[in-house]
Amino acid sequence: MSKRTGFLGALLLGTALTFGSTAMAEEAELWHFFSSGSEAEGLEALMAVTNGINSDQPITSRVFPGNILEMRRAIQTSLMGGNPPAAYGSGFGYELKIFADAGHLRPLDDVWERIRGDEIFPEGVKRVTMVDGHPMGIPFDLSLINNIFFNKKVLEDNGVEVPTDWDSLVAACDALRDAGVQPLANAGGPYWSMYNFYPALISTVGVDGYYALADGSMSFDSPEFREALDLFRNTLVSCYAENWSGKSWTQSGDDLVNGDVGMFMMGMWLGGYMRQAGFEPEVDFDFFPAPGTENLAIFQMDLFAIPAGTGPATEAGVAFAEAAASTAAQAAFTVPKGSIAPNLEVDPSIYDAVGAKASAELKNAEAVLPNLVFMLPTNLGTELGVQLERFAIDPSEETENEMITTLEALRVELQAENAFVKW
Amino acid sequence: MGHWIYLIVPICLYLMFFVVPIVWTFWLSLHSWNGISRDMKWVGGGNFMTLFLQPRFHHAVVNNIAWLIFYLLAPSGLGLLLAVILDRGIRFEGFFRIVFFLPFTVPAVAVAAIWRWMYEPTNGLITTVLNTVGLGGWAQNWLGDPNIVTFSLMGSVLWWTTGFAFLVFFAGLRNIPVECIEAAQIEGATPWQIFWRVTFPLLWPSTIIVLGLAAIDAMRVFDIIWATTMGGPAYASEVMATQMYEIAFGRLEMGRASAIAVYLLVIAGVLIMPYITYMSRRVADSEDS
Repeated sequence: MSKRTGFLGALLLGTALTFGSTAMAEEAELWHFFSSGSEAEGLEALMAVTNGINSDQPITSRVFPGNILEMRRAIQTSLMGGNPPAAYGSGFGYELKIFADAGHLRPLDDVWERIRGDEIFPEGVKRVTMVDGHPMGIPFDLSLINNIFFNKKVLEDNGVEVPTDWDSLVAACDALRDAGVQPLANAGGPYWSMYNFYPALISTVGVDGYYALADGSMSFDSPEFREALDLFRNTLVSCYAENWSGKSWTQSGDDLVNGDVGMFMMGMWLGGYMRQAGFEPEVDFDFFPAPGTENLAIFQMDLFAIPAGTGPATEAGVAFAEAAASTAAQAAFTVPKGSIAPNLEVDPSIYDAVGAKASAELKNAEAVLPNLVFMLPTNLGTELGVQLERFAIDPSEETENEMITTLEALRVELQAENAFVKW
Repeated sequence: MGHWIYLIVPICLYLMFFVVPIVWTFWLSLHSWNGISRDMKWVGGGNFMTLFLQPRFHHAVVNNIAWLIFYLLAPSGLGLLLAVILDRGIRFEGFFRIVFFLPFTVPAVAVAAIWRWMYEPTNGLITTVLNTVGLGGWAQNWLGDPNIVTFSLMGSVLWWTTGFAFLVFFAGLRNIPVECIEAAQIEGATPWQIFWRVTFPLLWPSTIIVLGLAAIDAMRVFDIIWATTMGGPAYASEVMATQMYEIAFGRLEMGRASAIAVYLLVIAGVLIMPYITYMSRRVADSEDS
């Protein structure tokens, strides 16, 4: 081979690789972190529906195992490289605001109008989907996080009634403990203890106080916040099973299935997990609203966001988001996962008994409240989770004081930076 | 001059992928930036000062030092012990060689998943075995107790990484000339004397490889901790690398995370580089003599 032929060969190869990679970048992809189990099954079903609706603009999925943190890292890197996906799975509230403020998200006002977003989504959902009045994502998956699941056989065998308020919850815990059963599961990590804290917080400060904490107008060293911590300490924390902090939520879920614990306050995905373990809803397990949240629905939610841009990939992303709001797509995802659809027009008969009950809770709730952590500035939300886990492990006065000092200093710093949002 | 042309590509790659990121990280550490916004705010040394005064950062540094001590002593010592035992020509040597080295081939995330189940505090393998042999009182909340979680993680790393030290030491032992051992035996040296006076000094090149890499591993330890506990519970098992990742992507404070990276670079430079230099000199000395 002559030098010239070799050079031309290399040039052709380089050109082919360049065009090849460009073609890859143009492909419409959905990035998400639903890597396994019922969530992966749900996403596959949802994509079958959306690609059926948009057969001329199909979208492929790419999974980033982990959680929202890994997703954030992937999106951040792709934005730096100028090659974001057509759509991605996102959190709501502050998670959307960060990207929207930087101009990285495509406002979805047109899609919102076509899907009648104001009519099909509950008020609480709308509040945290909008940034500066513009919808920045399409909600597709919603789980209530204010319910306490219980193993029916364990409660029945020990003559324990389903609790209806704080006093009966503590009494149920005492009865189970006396019978040699650990009363209430929890799991290690910065989220679960925080979700468990919300009922105590709302019981103390009410719905307005909940939003006041989210918008930074309530201080962490206020008597109300201390009172909420006291209630948390004397109720749920006092009920927690031994060694809960060394378990993942699935391991604690196994404890509930095995009858090693009686109850477990967790998001609705626990119902899906127990069904996979062979537990029948309403037969083997059920749930009740945590005290103080009987007429409320506190939710965790996933949305699809569309990075700003133009071209076929973005158009495919927008078409995908619109299709994902349909009742068929939302049903396809939420039924396998065991969650419920944010779209209120989805027929509740598609759910199992537990899902139907949760769906009714969402529809009939006096207030639908977004998960507090996603309404707080990211730094404060994360710190609150860590501090509440620490408090749940060691609910001493010393820990409480250190926690309040840390959180209040951060709140003041963020307030000075005008970082809070009035959702 | 002509030969220098061949160095242009590697030099460019080195500058692009090694020097530029370090300079860029240092530049970032002087700013407040969420990694997403187009604007960065200059804060000078503010990030460094904040970390310097923060108990959370001190705790991570202390944990890194604990990991350094652990890495230098535990996997290296156990690897040497296993290599010496196997070098004595026991039966099924090939089988044990595979068994000792096998854990090192397992990816960190899989090791974390395995040990999360081993350390499950109620029904995990370790607690179950302890209960079975009547030592249930020794069972702990392995990954949930802030006071012991780092030691538990070290246990899983010991299982995971000892195989590497074992393999290097074993290869080193097999390369020691038999004449040296035989001469010592003829002179009437005890096995203990032979090990410390003959075998161990001749293993010096292997020791340097093992300890040098162990020291580097201690500074960059990340994956096993992140995949097992994410630095928890409540920061208890955090090291600088996991804190850097959490602050960068969990809190979107790229400037502060970059400052941790700079601290890590400096601390690694202060702790590790003099050690590597010293050890390398010792190798040169031992080869000369």
